[in-house]
Amino acid sequence: MSPSVFVRLKLRMTVNGFRGRPGRVVMVVFGGVFGAWFAFTAFIAFAIPGILNDARVASMVLPLGGGVAVLGWLLLPLVLFGVDESLDPARFALLPLSRSTLIRGMLAAALAGVPAVGTLAATLGMVFTVARLGGIGAGLVELAGVVLGLLLCVAASRAVTSAFAGGLRSRRGRDAATVLFGAVAALLGPIQILALSGVQRTDGRQVAGVARAVEWTPFGAPYAIGTDMVLGRAWGVPIKLAIVLAAIAGLLWWWSRTLERAMFDSSSGRVSQVKQGGEPVAQLVLPVLPRSRFGALTSREARYWWRESRRRASLITFSVVGIFVPIMLSATGGSGPGVLPFVGALAAVGLANQFGFDGSAYAANVVSGVPGRAEIHSRVAGYSLYAVPVLALAGVAIGLVAGGGPGAIPSLLGSLVAAYGVGLAVVLPISIVGAYAMPDSANPFATSSGAGPAKALIGMAALAGAAVGTAPVVLLSHLAHSVWLFAGLPIGVIYGIGAYLVGSRIAGRILDRRMPELLAAVTPGR
Amino acid sequence: MALRGLVKRFDTKVAVAGLDLDVPAGSFYGLLGPNGAGKTTTLSMAVGLLRPDAGQAIVLGHDVWVNPVPAKRVIGVLPDGVRLFERLSGAELLAYHGLLRGMDPATVDQRARELLDVLELSSAGRTLVVDYSAGMKKKIGLACALLHGPRLLVLDEPFEAVDPVSAALIRDILRRYVTGGGTVVFSSHVMEVVERLCSHVAIMAQGAIRATGTLDAVRGGRSLEDVFLRVVGGRVATGTELTWL
Repeated sequence: MSPSVFVRLKLRMTVNGFRGRPGRVVMVVFGGVFGAWFAFTAFIAFAIPGILNDARVASMVLPLGGGVAVLGWLLLPLVLFGVDESLDPARFALLPLSRSTLIRGMLAAALAGVPAVGTLAATLGMVFTVARLGGIGAGLVELAGVVLGLLLCVAASRAVTSAFAGGLRSRRGRDAATVLFGAVAALLGPIQILALSGVQRTDGRQVAGVARAVEWTPFGAPYAIGTDMVLGRAWGVPIKLAIVLAAIAGLLWWWSRTLERAMFDSSSGRVSQVKQGGEPVAQLVLPVLPRSRFGALTSREARYWWRESRRRASLITFSVVGIFVPIMLSATGGSGPGVLPFVGALAAVGLANQFGFDGSAYAANVVSGVPGRAEIHSRVAGYSLYAVPVLALAGVAIGLVAGGGPGAIPSLLGSLVAAYGVGLAVVLPISIVGAYAMPDSANPFATSSGAGPAKALIGMAALAGAAVGTAPVVLLSHLAHSVWLFAGLPIGVIYGIGAYLVGSRIAGRILDRRMPELLAAVTPGR
Repeated sequence: MALRGLVKRFDTKVAVAGLDLDVPAGSFYGLLGPNGAGKTTTLSMAVGLLRPDAGQAIVLGHDVWVNPVPAKRVIGVLPDGVRLFERLSGAELLAYHGLLRGMDPATVDQRARELLDVLELSSAGRTLVVDYSAGMKKKIGLACALLHGPRLLVLDEPFEAVDPVSAALIRDILRRYVTGGGTVVFSSHVMEVVERLCSHVAIMAQGAIRATGTLDAVRGGRSLEDVFLRVVGGRVATGTELTWL
């Protein structure tokens, strides 16, 4: 069976997914426009060395830019976009397909999408540069490199998300995932140093050194073969091709292993048990909460954030990103405290599709007629049981690492609370109006076809809204720094709570009007 | 429960076309129909899960769509498929539903224990509902619907994928509930179950009620299956095709 069958199947499923859902079409158009704009910008960036006719700059920009592309393919699906799993491998379990046919088909289907086309378009800028510098022959070599690079990107992203999804099902895997995420996030530190020193030093010697190292790794190798031709180092081309091909082969092998497990072992295989005993109400409601409707809703949310793999994945991602990124930034001379509003808002973005996590189970709340305000407050409370300690930890850690010293911690916490509150105010209404169904999949990173751009757009809209909303606080903290040191905490807390109250009120009213519509939106398979 | 002129369209397809149905208080009402007849859509609109394009759903004098809170208070629902918060244990799920309905925690504990014991779910102990078998899920779903003592029970396919022992138990519980003054409406496409249980039936096809009344009136001396096949129509035997079978 040829891979084109898989591609046609995926495109057909995507198109059918649009039927009767104009909102999704709009989302995808937005995603397409955004992707085209991004690809165009990157194309120009990669073409600049060619326009400048500077082979030395090209030998730095191409491998580093390519490396960022590969890294983006590795990380963004985990953090932001999710993986389009319209072709669920488990659906092919009954068909007589060999493993290699399946992998080729799935790879081809993964290539048929906005991200892959955008990446290809962007990296064609490298082909332009190389062709300009070294002629058509070198350009063709770079074209081969760019295509291989795209294959590497897709294979890497599918293999890692697939393995990560499998790993998250077991407790040991969860711990490993946390460590892995920490390591990956820690990698952002060195990259930050690079970028900073690259900007600060005009001779760019360090950057060139790093670029030389990166071009011998799978990250930069596919994109560096063209400049090898230009610089008269044709001997490097076969070695780098070998590196890339070996990396792709290894990733595909890894992916096919995890894919097989996903096909035939979609259940966790182990029966989950809950620990505590006692009377039903005592089992459900956390000891600190009242034995009431609010307590029940909040406890259920809190338990779900831990028991459901999709929610847990987003919680772990946020925890690691929220704590590591600012610390790394501070440790490497960047502005750690400056990103705190971002961290606070990112915490709120975790709730952007809170009803989508529930799926059709949300019917229980609709049938019981839970008032909108109670629903919203309890959901925020349940999530905050995890998010607030993480935010507090981030604030304290940054206070200790960054220059301000322990005395600055209260004001940092103030900024965090303000950003979290504003973020919630923006996210809560979005979580009702923009809710979308998640597929019934064992992969916590899976999104249904066409929902990827929606997920990213909602997240970005929430971040942008939160940035605007926290601007007054940020301004105040900069303009009146000495006052902010002691007044920051109360002002931030009041500002955050105020914003939250306004946002939750709006969200509660919308919810009261739209409960059945929301239920229909989050019910999968409609 | 009274449904008046209910209409629901999905895109261009009309799922329910101006449906009227009266369910007398204290009746055991079976809603029969082939797959895709609009049974689930109708029941979803009747309990406030799906907003109708037109029409009214009135439960014990309360319009479900105008005045939902008092209406929802007296309804217990077992929705289609299994729409439960499955990552709770059976006991946790019951406690959740009870507290959600604003019940007193002590009453919730007592009733939940009783329901778990009667439905033989206590032995599942602390297993999450997601790991329950299909029959156990139906039973815990029924327990959630019964917990707050509703006056009207609306059950979508309560006997689907349930083993004979559990089915007998569910039948017994429902009979007792009706004897105690409750009203049951349930959908099914299994004739035997409906014939054994129901006082009233309605046969639905293509989004409309085709026959309705007491069981005996609808049957009119024939078997319910005969009446159903005649009312619904459709092919019931193979012709010259499929010779390769």
